[in-house]
Amino acid sequence: MREVFVAGIGITSFTRLEYPLVEIAAYPGLMALRDCGLNKIDQLYVANMGAGRVNHQTGLASAVVDNLSLTPAGADGIENGPASGASAIKQGFMAVASGLHDVVMVIGAERMREVNNLEATDFVATLTHPMAEYIYGVTLPSLAGMFTRLYMEKYGVTSRHLAMVAVKNHQHAMDNFYAHIHEPITIEGILDSPEASTNNPYVADPLRFYDCCPVSDGAACLILTTADIARKTGKPLVRLAGVGQATDTHSVADRKEPTDLLAVREAARKSFEMAGVKPSDVSVAELHDAFTILEIVESEEVGFFPKGQGHIALAEGATKLGGKLPINPSGGLKAKGHPVGATGVGQAHEIVLQLRGEAGKRQVKNAKVGFTCNFGGFGNNVVCLTFVKEK
Amino acid sequence: MEYNIYAYKCKRCGHVQYPYRTICRNCHENDHNEFDIVPLPKKGKLLTYTILYNPPSDYETPTISLGIVELEDGNRITGQLKIDKPKTGMAVVGRVEIVRNESYNEYRGMVFYKA
Ligand SMILES: [Zn+2]
Repeated sequence: MREVFVAGIGITSFTRLEYPLVEIAAYPGLMALRDCGLNKIDQLYVANMGAGRVNHQTGLASAVVDNLSLTPAGADGIENGPASGASAIKQGFMAVASGLHDVVMVIGAERMREVNNLEATDFVATLTHPMAEYIYGVTLPSLAGMFTRLYMEKYGVTSRHLAMVAVKNHQHAMDNFYAHIHEPITIEGILDSPEASTNNPYVADPLRFYDCCPVSDGAACLILTTADIARKTGKPLVRLAGVGQATDTHSVADRKEPTDLLAVREAARKSFEMAGVKPSDVSVAELHDAFTILEIVESEEVGFFPKGQGHIALAEGATKLGGKLPINPSGGLKAKGHPVGATGVGQAHEIVLQLRGEAGKRQVKNAKVGFTCNFGGFGNNVVCLTFVKEK
Repeated sequence: MEYNIYAYKCKRCGHVQYPYRTICRNCHENDHNEFDIVPLPKKGKLLTYTILYNPPSDYETPTISLGIVELEDGNRITGQLKIDKPKTGMAVVGRVEIVRNESYNEYRGMVFYKA
């Protein structure tokens, strides 16, 4: 297997974007090519979840490869729910590692704000079990709400801990130009003040408005290549060292221990094992905080903290910028935004910036090993990536 | 007549699975038609719940309540709740009712009440 390096990166703002989806997808592709100075690729992978349903656009990869004038390169679309982005990176990794291709472009793109919030939520809800979940009106926030209640009762996580995740990630996003939300919040403002019940209402009890990520448009791109080609670009060398994926039952109710996220545990284990590093070696991580509870639980399941201790590490400040292990320096899905199919590529984009030392005000000092967890379904399909800074 | 929600009992190993899977989750040995269809029990205890304040647009109520119930046979099922003040661990009993009206299709599913 050949080693795989990140040559170029690009990203759009995660926000409401008034451009056709194909152009939204193409823009970070252009940025990534200019970033590394390459102008030809062998293969394009485009991650996206809703183009056919939300944007009336099928065959997205074929449209994007032509828009970027990269024909006759191969082009494939990847739909794997909210884990589409990291799944596409995994395909790119396999293509370069196997020797099939030398230069692979991976784009994740989504335009969800073309429809209203309820329609966007319903489109994402179609990933739930059709007969055991969807017909009951189950949405992702409702699965997260039921999961949160169990976690609170079993491990003593409180609304205050959840709010700490939101406050931290909103603060991180203040220094990320591309983030969806630039709004500093306080626990006082969203939990304690007389206005809190109005400005932070329940969405899926016990989860409130500020526990949920926004609905975003956006796209991000990584160009993956061999060691030789990566060296010639002159960019700081970042190696994609570990790729792990695992699945769990489609219906959440079906899990033996409903507070476990076994797919996260297994995907992370595989990713670390391939990279030859331990969770304690990680200097910076992007976790899939579509709901605040998920950042806490993923930080345990991937092995950063013991089970049931994630909220304690959070309260001690270990996971904020300047802490022992900064989590979601980009602002995370919570504040950077969550254009579903783009999210996994966006997470990797942040980690590459951090390992290159190009993250500006939110730079984690001496970042050497970076980690991403891209969480599909409600934990039924998870892809974890480990990146290592090389000399 | 009383409706049921059905589970699938493997003819090879006796494992009862809900929802349906083509291959038995326990023995992995069955052919696709090697299941007996058995009704799920209706009694159980509420494992967790949520009140959803912005239900999908085809619901006409401002909120819906959803829960996961551990049934008497150990199977778990997601269902709707018609319970004033739900509490985790409480005893509940299910009835099969219309749970969704979408694009002229009615779907029946389990609705739980206080036992
Ligand atoms: Zn069996």
